Amino acid sequence: MLLQALGKIAQTLVVLFIVSVASFGLLKLAPGDPIQIMLGSEFSQESYDSLTAELGLDRPFLVQYGDWALRFVSGDWGTSYVARTDIFTYAFKEALPVTLTLASFSLAFAILIGVPLGVLSAVKKDTAFDAGAAVLALTGTAFPSFLLGILLIWFFAVKLGLFPVMGYVSPWQDFWTGIYHIILPGLTLSTYFIAMITRLTRATLIEVMEQPYIAAARARGEPAWRVIWVHGVRNIAMPLVTILGLQLGTLLQGTVLTETVFNLPGIGQMLTSAVLGREYMVVQAGVMMTATLFIGVNLLVDLSYPVLDPRLRARK
Amino acid sequence: MTEIDHKKVLAERLSARFGRRAVLKGLGAGILAATAAGGVPSIARAQQSGHLKIASIKVIDTLDPHFTGFLSAIQIINNIHNGLLKITYDGSAVKFEPDLAETWDLEDDKTHVFKLRDGVKFHDGTPCDAEAVKFSLLRVKEGEPKSPHAWKLALLDEIEIVDPLTIKLKFSQPYAFLPVALNGSTGRAGTIVSPAAVQKYGADYGRNPVGTGPFKFVSWRENDAIELEANTEYFEPGLPKLEKVTFVLMNEASTALAALFAGQIDGMTDCPMQLVDQVDAFPNATLYGEIEGNYTFVGMNCKRSPFDDINLRRAVAWALDRDTIVKQAYFGRAQAAYTPISPPMTDFFDPNIASSGRGQWFDLEKAKAFRAKAANQGEVEAVYMMAERGPVGTRIAQTVAPMLAQIGIKAKLELIEPAAWVKRRNASDFDLYDFEWVADLDPDETLYPEFRSDGAWNFGGWVNTEFDDLCAQAQVLLDPEARKELYYKAEDLLMDEAGIAVMAHMPIYKVFSNKVQGFQYIPADLVNLHTVSLA
Repeated sequence: MLLQALGKIAQTLVVLFIVSVASFGLLKLAPGDPIQIMLGSEFSQESYDSLTAELGLDRPFLVQYGDWALRFVSGDWGTSYVARTDIFTYAFKEALPVTLTLASFSLAFAILIGVPLGVLSAVKKDTAFDAGAAVLALTGTAFPSFLLGILLIWFFAVKLGLFPVMGYVSPWQDFWTGIYHIILPGLTLSTYFIAMITRLTRATLIEVMEQPYIAAARARGEPAWRVIWVHGVRNIAMPLVTILGLQLGTLLQGTVLTETVFNLPGIGQMLTSAVLGREYMVVQAGVMMTATLFIGVNLLVDLSYPVLDPRLRARK
Repeated sequence: MTEIDHKKVLAERLSARFGRRAVLKGLGAGILAATAAGGVPSIARAQQSGHLKIASIKVIDTLDPHFTGFLSAIQIINNIHNGLLKITYDGSAVKFEPDLAETWDLEDDKTHVFKLRDGVKFHDGTPCDAEAVKFSLLRVKEGEPKSPHAWKLALLDEIEIVDPLTIKLKFSQPYAFLPVALNGSTGRAGTIVSPAAVQKYGADYGRNPVGTGPFKFVSWRENDAIELEANTEYFEPGLPKLEKVTFVLMNEASTALAALFAGQIDGMTDCPMQLVDQVDAFPNATLYGEIEGNYTFVGMNCKRSPFDDINLRRAVAWALDRDTIVKQAYFGRAQAAYTPISPPMTDFFDPNIASSGRGQWFDLEKAKAFRAKAANQGEVEAVYMMAERGPVGTRIAQTVAPMLAQIGIKAKLELIEPAAWVKRRNASDFDLYDFEWVADLDPDETLYPEFRSDGAWNFGGWVNTEFDDLCAQAQVLLDPEARKELYYKAEDLLMDEAGIAVMAHMPIYKVFSNKVQGFQYIPADLVNLHTVSLA
């Protein structure tokens, strides 16, 4: 067990190393130069050289990478070139909580709406309800979240005045104001996942409902709700959790557009402006955080299997 | 040639507010104290109220005036700092007035004497005196790392502190651009920062700016907001009127507009042209915007084939249908340009330029005639480098390409990411591109750094030594009429040889909800909130 855990950690570290080298290298290879961007149009070669030296960008790639990696591991994430902001505060303390909040609320919306919709579709297979849910799900998958966000803003925030157009309030500080601000962006980001979970729940539940243990439960005279929600849904938990873990990357990608449309100061916005401004160290911080998050969640998914399925628990 | 009386010219250029007579009197007698001798001027303390929330759509790089390259940052910096001079606008002409300076005197045409306001303090409580002004000017001129605005003070030879409130600047030659260089707005070089704060924060000054302006810096949350609060000790009587200001940092202009319509914010520092119709139709908002000090153009690479051919460049210059470009690329909001000098430069812009016969305009027959003289008579293929940048993104390239096709130039539109675009432009790695020089208030900054033979921003590489000479001569003349004559000649050379194909002068818009009152619009892309209040 210990060996297994150590193996996982080693694997995680290797992945993080590869990710960090790849993102550092790719961004350096991309044309564009932070100094030229930060100086705008009005600068002389002298100011350019002076700032390049000041920021250490005249050093060889490997030296720059090594310097960054050593500092990063020791907890010194550095200072952004242009705005001179402390990257650890910016990325970890300010941006990460916003994205985590947005992602968890979206996931919660997706599960709370998608699972019941999928279950009902499976139970009412081939009825008008099922067909309606399928159309909704397809629309949800096909609709670009950027456009959906803008439409939701204009209808619910501007026309009806029900929700704020933009901005972030931490639900952990002011719960109801936080929820009020996260509903529209959460819904925008979750549409794709609602659709996906609905379809997945429907398909797997139809299969599960044909299993002998469901027939046995029915034969024991258990009420229909119990047969579906306890015996049925419990058995779709594993594929659902696996897919959700793997789709976390898509969710994090979705935060980029959602955060831009709703002006949420999260990792998505941070990465966009950092990539455009060639803020190498901010990009690195963002990539490392999202990679760790992705690996961490999938590790949790692995660990959840024995909890979700007693057959996978180690025999004593 | 009659000798120009520089002192008289300077006096005439100073605004009515300061008073021509007072300046002339000062000029005769040396340094003039404009306020009553001695005493500290009393500052009528204002009662501040209201919290203004205004969306800032573009990137804010730093709040350090001496290092920013972005007008969106200057919009905020200008509310925190003052310059020796400032820009004002009375609805018809842009003027340069003393700001931290109380009087501005010329000992001779190269020596400027500034008497500072008494009793002005930085937000950290330290005095804004001659030492502080000297510190700021030296920081720009020879600080390390080098300020991108250092060139504006390159002619400054000596700074002498006459007394704690008087500073004398000696230049190596008369310097006509000085009013622009020394103001706290587009000039940046003349913005005065707190020496104590620079020493305390070092390279992090841009995150902790300390000026003398109407608002004090409070906080900056990345991608979220920059907050300011009223400077209750501000030296202009009765100002500021607001208690708090929040610049909400946003990337998406349509979201900002929605937030304005929903009443969540009170204004936008920049309203893109494509949203102006929506603002016009909304009854509770007011749009501010006029043609500003800018020009847009299609740049051609004169250093390599095919546009090293003057006739091909001339063909491009005459083939661009400016009216169509204004309608399609600029949503009908811009104004066709004939030369780079723009309307807010009232001393230099010719309001009748359209009928003057000067400059470039659309004439397809003429374009075809030039094309017929070009060395390459076959179809010319040219890479047109474009990016989602600037006020209208790739719309210009898409509008211009069919116009070029009419004269046998096949423009290969290449869409690249903005950072890569900047890099390639700066390395002159293109055939064609479009760009805009903005917030120019003097022909010197509009023409000289951009088109001087060895100019750092002469990306197209057009070379004409006669042009260089004309601009250099104009730089050391203070008489606007004499300067105008030289700049017209310089422009005529640039336009005739088609160093660029000039396109349009653009309006820059700001929008405020109707409860925002007292905003004073200045056509230099500024958002000065000194006089603003909330109803």
